[in-house]
Amino acid sequence: MFLKNLVEIFTSPKYLDIFFNGLKLTLIISVGAAVLGLFLGVIVALIKLTPKENKAMAFPRLICDIYITIVRGTPMALQLFIMAFVILTIRGFPQAITAIIAFGINSGAYVAENIRAGILSVDIGQTEAGLSLGLSQKTTMMRIVIPQAIKNVIPAIGNELIALIKETSIVTMIGMQDLTAAAKNVGAGNNLASYFAPMVVAAIFYLAIVYALTFAIKIIERRLRASDKR
Amino acid sequence: MISVKSVSKNFGDIKVLKNVSCDIKKGERVVIIGPSGSGKSTLLRCMNLLEKPTGGEVWMADKMITSADPYLHPDMIAVSATASKLISSGMESGAAVDKIICERLLKKNEGAAFNSALKAYNAEHAIPLNIARQRMGMVFQHFNLFNNLTIMDNLTLAPVELKLKTKEEATEKAMELLGRIGLTDKANEYPSRLSGGQKQRIAIIRALAMEPEVMLFDEPTSALDPELVGEVLSVMRSLADEGMTMVVVTHEMNFARNVANRVLFMADGIIAEEGAPDQIFNDPVNPRTRQFLHSVLNKD
Repeated sequence: MFLKNLVEIFTSPKYLDIFFNGLKLTLIISVGAAVLGLFLGVIVALIKLTPKENKAMAFPRLICDIYITIVRGTPMALQLFIMAFVILTIRGFPQAITAIIAFGINSGAYVAENIRAGILSVDIGQTEAGLSLGLSQKTTMMRIVIPQAIKNVIPAIGNELIALIKETSIVTMIGMQDLTAAAKNVGAGNNLASYFAPMVVAAIFYLAIVYALTFAIKIIERRLRASDKR
Repeated sequence: MISVKSVSKNFGDIKVLKNVSCDIKKGERVVIIGPSGSGKSTLLRCMNLLEKPTGGEVWMADKMITSADPYLHPDMIAVSATASKLISSGMESGAAVDKIICERLLKKNEGAAFNSALKAYNAEHAIPLNIARQRMGMVFQHFNLFNNLTIMDNLTLAPVELKLKTKEEATEKAMELLGRIGLTDKANEYPSRLSGGQKQRIAIIRALAMEPEVMLFDEPTSALDPELVGEVLSVMRSLADEGMTMVVVTHEMNFARNVANRVLFMADGIIAEEGAPDQIFNDPVNPRTRQFLHSVLNKD
């Protein structure tokens, strides 16, 4: 029964279509949100790292603190609902964009904290050495601190991206047809009338995406660790 | 070469430097000794402003690298709002200035005349910190080689980035310096593959690659295994022989005795005694110096 359903999923164009459209939507939301999240995260981290004496940045720093507190302190599903039903209620506004914005904003807060921790983990002596040679704060940051911080940050960012991909499944709650919704749809009474096989297929798709990502991160990490070899 | 004028430094409520002044002349080799917590490293780090002084001024080759400290300039204080208030209440102008300096009475805003005097002084004497730092090499206790760069890139980054040399010139100079310390074969290694002594020698020539006028050493041998100390000291000694102006914070008493022209003994945030090494080591005047030397020289 299970095998028969499995074969049917992969041979019937109708079911394949549903799955691939779902997969496509999941990937679009994930990639879009990841790009937005990384972009926001870098900016927020840099603002939060400006020195306390810099009074001009006091207000932006406060905004960033509030942003991180709210995003980390409320459920993702609620943030998605607020984005879809309160903020972006424009008729005909593409749902995929709504989801990208909601997940991107959520991810940005976590990425920002990861990046901040990564930059702070670079020994202060590296900065001092750069400054003592007469390099500017900016050059020291760009040429010495950030390259080392990236290496420390990659594993944490990888975790965040993996969590993000899986978390996108809650878009089913606002009626979007992503990979999880596709599995539910294919398993429904008017289709296969059995959830087992489609759920397994969806799980394999998620696993494959996450595995590919993990592999890519591992390769990037290995490249970056070239200077650590002893 | 470097003038430290009445510099004080507080970390919160702790006064690490209390009104310290000293002059480092060209070609001089000054060694700073003293018990830990006495402010030696802080004084050295104030010279290139890695530590920003709470008060006082630091000058390098007749140029000011801090901003002006009004308390060092009676003529500025004389035109301050506080001074005119004191004078109008019947005080004599000289006495008013003295009172302000003694009791640190300047407020945040001291009026237009004061502000323009301060601004004019800064404009006349101050040079940008980055420029001053390019002319001052610094060597750290923990080497602080750039871990993400090869040795060659460590040596050429600053001269090339600051457009003082082309890539080729910088590479040539770096190879020459590496040859001098016998480490040409390490040019393309990363710092993590070197021993502590090698790292510190590279750190010294990284500073030299900028062709500085003065070198600051902050306990350059304290983090090294005992058998590696010699190689670092010998590089420093050869620098001294070439007439490099050096300021060295160290616990290596033999180095101080043999290489310094002047020894500063620091205790509790002040320079408690200074003089030629012979005098400091053989005939210290201050009981605090005697006690310190007794405890470091008779370790066993």
